[in-house]
Formats: sequence, structure tokens, C-alpha cells
Amino acid sequence: MTRGLVVLIGALLFASALSLITAQHRSRSLFMDLERAQVDAKRLDVEHDRLRIDQSRLSQPAYVESEARKIGMKPIDTARTVFLNLPTAETKK
Amino acid sequence: MTRFPDSKRANRSRKSAQRDRTDRIGFNANPLLTVALPAWRSKLMLFLLFVGFVALVGRAFYLMGGVSTGFLQRQGEARYARTLEIPATRGRITDRNGVVLASSVPARAVWAIPEDVDAGPEQLNTLARLLQMNVSELKRRLADDDRTFVYLRRQVDADVAERIAALKLAGIHSTREFKRHYPEGATNAHVIGFTNVEDRGQEGIELAHERLLAGRAGSRRVIKDRLGRVIEDDWLREPLDGKDLALSIDNRIQYIAHAALKGALDKHRAKAGAAIVFDVKTGEVLALANLPSFDPNLRGRLSGDAIRNRVLTDTFEPGSTMKPFSIAAALEAGKVRVDTRIQTAPGRLTIGNRTIGDAHAHGMLTVEEIVSKSSNVGTAKIALELPAQTLWDTYTGVGFGQAPRLDFPGAVTGRLRPAKTWRPIEQATISYGHGVSVTLVQLARAYSVFANDGRLVPLTLLKTDTTAMPVRAMSPDTALAMRKMLEMAVGPEGTAPAARIPAYRVAGKTGTAYKIKNGQYVKEYVASFVGFAPVSDPRIVVAVMIDEPAGAHYGGQVAAPVFAAITASALRTLQVTPDAPLDPGREMIASRSAP
Repeated sequence: MTRGLVVLIGALLFASALSLITAQHRSRSLFMDLERAQVDAKRLDVEHDRLRIDQSRLSQPAYVESEARKIGMKPIDTARTVFLNLPTAETKK
Repeated sequence: MTRFPDSKRANRSRKSAQRDRTDRIGFNANPLLTVALPAWRSKLMLFLLFVGFVALVGRAFYLMGGVSTGFLQRQGEARYARTLEIPATRGRITDRNGVVLASSVPARAVWAIPEDVDAGPEQLNTLARLLQMNVSELKRRLADDDRTFVYLRRQVDADVAERIAALKLAGIHSTREFKRHYPEGATNAHVIGFTNVEDRGQEGIELAHERLLAGRAGSRRVIKDRLGRVIEDDWLREPLDGKDLALSIDNRIQYIAHAALKGALDKHRAKAGAAIVFDVKTGEVLALANLPSFDPNLRGRLSGDAIRNRVLTDTFEPGSTMKPFSIAAALEAGKVRVDTRIQTAPGRLTIGNRTIGDAHAHGMLTVEEIVSKSSNVGTAKIALELPAQTLWDTYTGVGFGQAPRLDFPGAVTGRLRPAKTWRPIEQATISYGHGVSVTLVQLARAYSVFANDGRLVPLTLLKTDTTAMPVRAMSPDTALAMRKMLEMAVGPEGTAPAARIPAYRVAGKTGTAYKIKNGQYVKEYVASFVGFAPVSDPRIVVAVMIDEPAGAHYGGQVAAPVFAAITASALRTLQVTPDAPLDPGREMIASRSAP
């Protein structure tokens, strides 16, 4: 009786030890995936920052103006603007 | 056998003896083998073994049970655990519409241990090319064997650093750092300022809001496996990234101001120039431009002249732009009315032993005309009617002589002496802007009093949603009267018709003042113009200052056209409804195309 109990407990202990190892291994590999995903996220963040800088650089009014002049566009000026009197505009000052 | 008769006997007797002993003791009953040891020796041995085991158990407990675990645990951990630094990213600076004006991206600092470097000539060539250095310069740095550490180049872009790492040169290393990018370059340089290689603010907003922008680096303790992969977290101190900062600056208006100023500087061969545009209602600075400027991305050759934010740090004698405040003080005090007539002929006025004069003699002028024609004599006569303290109160009330409460390094107060020390001649000259000094930002802000029905609005460089809490500096009636006078000043009869723009009513005042060098007035000028638009419901105040124009030097000729260019484009950008009547032909087009 006692002998059987000892064997049973021993077997359970062994199984538990094995499952602990598996669990540890799985948690570590999941953690590695998480880590990799976080590195990717960070990299994308940096990429995003860099693209925003590029966007800002390309949307610089000075750059836009010089590019626009190249294709023969002119800056707006009030003398060439047509003002429309919309009904809503009349209620304003 | 015969030869040994008694040996047989002896054999027999031994055999029997053997037989007898086997029963009791065993085969080794040879008396020779019987060692007669004292019993205490084996007991001693047993005891020593026991002591040995106890010592081992004790040692095990000593090492593992807590007494001296620290050292071993440290040694163990050093083989798998690492503390990693997590750098904090510095916050971005954007304009009011979210356009990035400054942003940090990771870069690398490339350094070398000169002793360890043994690269071939072509490898050095490649390295020098990647680092954008001369080969000779690179060799010189690597030749210094006494040093164990030498920076080759800092702020290297990450992709270039990767290519350097791919060369796999011995003794060449790199560490992580950040590089600050300023996509707008010189246009916004003075407001934003710049950081140093350590990504710490040195000038401008970068310095003023360093604590908000900087953030705090964090760190984490991790366990790595044999391949260097992180497999477990131990603990983590979160890094605190810097906060993003939205400025009140409108990138488009900033460019307009910068370009207009640049045009004027080229045209008039002026030494320097500055302009500021701000929203009358909220006090948000929409543009703040300075020339000469610098590119904050190329910090190799910065000069103090280019870095200086003239709008905030340079004081000058305002000249005629001061007059409206003197007139407003007289109107407030009830000394004069708008239509009171003042004799300004013959264009000069002697006070004590000094004589002041007008550029052109005018004769009899109303108060309105004194402002629009900018008569020194008329202004001085009116100002001398007032107690000095009243004038001082008005000037101080609109912010002269006080540092603008603008969170910006280096903003100065200008100079307005206490009223008690004014002599009559000084009271006269101060009333038309000589003998006081102001900064352009003070002057611009003071004009918000006229634009904002007598209330002085506090300025800010940060985007704000809350409406500003303006301080009343004069009555709405006086402000309205001054608005009318200032609109006349840009009229056909005024000093600055060049400030007018189509479709909007504008108002403003020119200023032309001699510069002081070494305590003497010299024949060099500061031309300025301060105004606001649209007059029916002012939205923006624009102030322009041109330093030392060559040739034409009057505010109306030099600064007013810049004002017009900035104001016209800024109002269009802000989509302000035009308030000036359009000419008949245009009106027709408008009504025809209206739905």
C-alpha cells in the first residue's frame, strides 16, 4: 500500500517536473516572439518618424513653391482671386 | 615424501588446525594477517569521515543557504543576465497643424580603439568614404596610439553605420545615440533652436522646454540564452519618452514671413531683418522670422550673428511706431480729441536748448493727421501737455520696459526709464520713440491693444486651445479711434501707402530710427512697420524690422512692403473673409458666379 503510494507520488512528481520544463521552454519561446515583435514595433516607429521627417521636408512651402514654379505655376494673389458672395458670407461682417 | 617424513605430519596437523579455524574465523585466519589494531583507530577514522561530511554539508549550506550567496549569484548571473539601457526618445516639435519641425531618430556614434585597428589601405578608404572624412584625417586620428578611445564621427545615420559594421573592421565600434532632424532648415531655426550631440537643448524652444522634451531613459534586467537572445524579463524600469510639443507657429505663414523678409533684405542690401505675426484673439505667435539665419542641421559653422533671435533679444529705438501710444495716452486723459487741431509749423520745436524737427513741415494738423503723417513736433506738443507719469503708465501698460512673459531664453526687457528722471526734452523725444528701446515682440504685442479693443493679449509660442486672458490697457473707444488713425496712416495721404493690400483693410504705423553705436547716433537706420488686419475685425498683428537698409531707409519704403506681402498671404492662408469693398468689375464676376 505504502509502496504503491510512493511510486504514484514519484510518478506524479516526475510528470510535474517534465511539465515544468515544457512550460518554461514554451514561456521562453513565446517571450522571444514577443521580444521580436517589440523590436519590430520599435523599428517601425523609427521608420515612421523618419517618414514623417521626409514628409515634412517634402511638404516644405519653399520646396513646394520651387517645384510649382518649375511647372509654371504662380503664387495666389488677391488681384487674381474671384470672391464669391455666398449667402452665408453675407451674414458675416 | 620420504625425504620429508615429519613434514607430512606437520601438514596433517596444519590441515586439522585449518579445518578447525575455518569453522570459526574464515580463510584468512593466517595469524600473519591478523593485525592487532586498537579499536579506537577505526573509530577515529569514522569520526574524521563524519567530520569531513559535516564540513561539506556546512560548506554547501554556507554557499547556498544565504551566508555568502551574493558573490556566487553575481558570478552566475554575470553569465546569463544583462542590464540593458532603454533610451528615451526626445519629443517631436510640430507646428500648429502637426507638421514635424524637429524629430529625433536613432543614429550611431562611430569610435575606435586605435591600438586594435589594423585595416588595409582600401578598407580605410571605404571607411573614410562612409564617414565622409579625408583618408589622411582618418589616419591621423587612428595614429594616436596613446589614446584608447577616439570618436571617428558622431551622429552617423543608422544605415551608414550598418554598412560600417558590415566591414567587420577590428577596433572600430559604434554606440547608439540620437540625431535630431530639422526638416524645415533655416526657416524655423530661431524659434526651435537646436540640440547638441547629446540630444540636449541648447537654444530656443529646445532649451526652454528641455525638461518636457527630454524624457528619461529606462533600463531592464533580462536573461539571455547562449545565442544572446533575450528569453526572460527580470525587472523593468519603463523609459519615459519626451513629450511632443505643438508650437503656435503656422509653418506656411512662417515661410511667407521668411521669404518676404529675405526678398527685402536682398533688395535693400540690409544687414538683418526680423518679423513677427501673431493672432490677436489668442496671442499665439503664428510666425517669427529672423535673418540672417542658419541651418540647424549643419551646426558646424554657427555664428552668434546668425543664431540671435532678433525679435526677442535685439532692442532698438522704435521711432514713430511709438507715437500712437503717446496720442492714445492723451486721448485717454482727455487732453485732446481726435479732431483737435495742433499747429506744427514751422516743423521745428525748441525745448530748452535742443530743437526737434519733422522730416517735412506740415502746418496745422488734426490729431488724426499727426499720426497718419507722423509729425514729431505735433506728437511732442501733445505729449508735453501730459504729466510724465501718465505717459509712463501708458507705455508700461502696453508692455514696454518689461520682459515679455514668453517662455523663451534670452528675451530682454528693453529700456524705459522711470518717469521721474525724464527732462522735458526727453519726454518729447520719448513720445516719438527716441530715448527708449524696445524689442520687436514688445512693439507687436503693444499694437494688439489697438487691434483688440484696448486689451493687451499675452503672447505664447505654444499652441493653445484656451482663449487668452487679455488685460485692459485703454478704453475701447480710444482703441477704435486709434484704429481709424492707423488706417489713415496707410492711406494715400499717410506715410505708408505701400502697406496696403487688395481686398483687406489694413492699419499700421511706420517707424524710422537712427541707430546708436557707442553712445552716439549714427547715420544708420532701423526701418520698421507694425500693423494689423483686417481693420473691421482685426485677426493678426504683423511687425517688421529691417536693420541698416542701404539706400532707401524709411519705414514706409522698406518695411511697409514686407508687411503688405506677409499680411496678404497670411490672411489668405488663414482664410479670413475680405472686408474691403472690391472694385466694380470684380464685384460683377463675383455676383455672376454666386449660386
